[in-house]
Amino acid sequence: MSATALLEIEGLSKSFGGVVAVDNCTMTIREGSVVGLIGPNGAGKSSVIDLVSGFERPTSGSVRFAGINVVGKRPDQISRLGMIRTFQTPREWRDLSVIDNVRVGRSDLERESLWRSLTSARRLRHLDTIETEEIRELMTHYRLDDIRNDRAVGLSGGQKRLLEFARIAAAKPRLTILDEPMGGVNPVLGERIGEAIRELKKAGSTVVVVEHNLPFIEKTCDEVVVMDLGSVIAQGRFDELRDNKRVVDAYLGNDDE
Amino acid sequence: MLQYWTAILTEATIFGVLALGIDMIWGWAGDFDLSAYAYFALGVYMTIILTVGKAKSPVEYVLGWRLPYLLAVVIAVVVVVAFASIIGAIALRNLRDVYFSITTLGAVWAIYYMVENFTPLFNGYNGVFGLFDPMGGGLSYNTYHYYFFGFCLLVLFLVYLVVQRLSRSPFGRMVRAVRDDERAASVYGRNVFWTKYRTYLCGAGLAGLSGGLFAAYIGAFSPLDWKPTEIFVLYAAILVGGRGNPRGVVLGSFIVYVGFVEMTRYIPSPAARPELGPALRQILIGVLIILMLKFRPSGLLPERLGTDGTNARRTWRDRLWRATVVADSHPDDELVDTTGGVET
Repeated sequence: MSATALLEIEGLSKSFGGVVAVDNCTMTIREGSVVGLIGPNGAGKSSVIDLVSGFERPTSGSVRFAGINVVGKRPDQISRLGMIRTFQTPREWRDLSVIDNVRVGRSDLERESLWRSLTSARRLRHLDTIETEEIRELMTHYRLDDIRNDRAVGLSGGQKRLLEFARIAAAKPRLTILDEPMGGVNPVLGERIGEAIRELKKAGSTVVVVEHNLPFIEKTCDEVVVMDLGSVIAQGRFDELRDNKRVVDAYLGNDDE
Repeated sequence: MLQYWTAILTEATIFGVLALGIDMIWGWAGDFDLSAYAYFALGVYMTIILTVGKAKSPVEYVLGWRLPYLLAVVIAVVVVVAFASIIGAIALRNLRDVYFSITTLGAVWAIYYMVENFTPLFNGYNGVFGLFDPMGGGLSYNTYHYYFFGFCLLVLFLVYLVVQRLSRSPFGRMVRAVRDDERAASVYGRNVFWTKYRTYLCGAGLAGLSGGLFAAYIGAFSPLDWKPTEIFVLYAAILVGGRGNPRGVVLGSFIVYVGFVEMTRYIPSPAARPELGPALRQILIGVLIILMLKFRPSGLLPERLGTDGTNARRTWRDRLWRATVVADSHPDDELVDTTGGVET
């Protein structure tokens, strides 16, 4: 269990006006693990993700990703270091075809330069064609191949979830942060998503999953981080935390407070 | 009559270039920009004052050089892009949707009133004039117009080729991804501002170029000849033709300019009410926009969907597949092969 730390969060705080959303939060995510981030509503899980991925700027504290301090960097800069996050609702590019959604996830940014698009259009198109097979394999894997040429907006909620995973798999990130991947998903598709997370791990990505579905977390994750009131109250294996009093209190409510 | 049609078609051609530029900003990047007509006007002014020579009192304007027409157009485009880089930097940094539009609307009116009232710039209300046969071909008035129409068609064609190439390139795809969901685009490493900004400057450059053509077409230009609100005619053209589809945008420009703007001139106005015809024209364009949005919102030629090149046919089985919950079963083998056997 002695892998190197990929994501180190230390003393992270964020307040919106008078509301403290994240309060001196500290956690370490080891490379190669699948970590569940749980906690009651309003515990600050999503805020931590926003801070880590650059969508919000912390009031104080530090975030180091792969040894690089990412506080103050833009989301796209952080993403280019190898971190991809999702949002609570699937965010497909609605007027792009399904295959183009995966292509944008896949493609390296060099190719999108204005100049190269003008001068070597044919070469770029050729590269697209070469990759089509690889991308279609991916799409078949996520059961999207038959709708690959459709506008992404017409997909069902479940298909959008799978598209999200296809896009991530195409991008091959070092760290994937999934914000409630099971939201609005039926149990059968839930199985598939659990599988997709394990596949991400196998492909070499570290995964952080925010989720309320505890049986799912237990089955999928190597380790769990529990948050309450903006800070981490426990971190460890799921079965170790089951009897932790603070965790139980946080979830069931503590009458003493 | 032939000359009349040449004039109309020339105008439609020039506005086709402008519409392609505006479509890059709105159709591709999703920014409903209202200042593009100012870039167009600035292109016209710059081209005229760079070619007609020193101003003679009481006329006054800046520069007053006597450059070859083509060089003047190039400089005009550069000036327009430089100018748009300031407005774009302000409007695109943090503002989106209606807030972006309001900012650009403010910019275009500020420019309009400044041009109209600050005489030393472009001779204010009276405008600048004196550009004719800029290529110096020594042609007669009539033949010149035919040649110039040909020249404009050639420019439109070249611009169309470039825009179409960009539209189908990875760059065009990425700009549309940013349009559809910029948070998701930034999660995948795209710099949202820089993407939108570059697209904005390309669009503004095309607006400047069409201004350069229009300068030679109209020869004189004053605040009487343009109003910021005229941009809605161009938006009508884009809507009719197909937002995000360069071919559609060119088609839409011709339909709207030839069919609506010019044909409606024939609407008779009673002598007592000469303003009736022009007013009806505005109403008709408004009705056209509403009807298009209601019945064919993506235009006559909708935006081209990036496919894997196999041109998948939609069969009833595919539709059924879409309707079923994806996870329930996985009847891959039963599905019709939509690739048509084409593999790479």
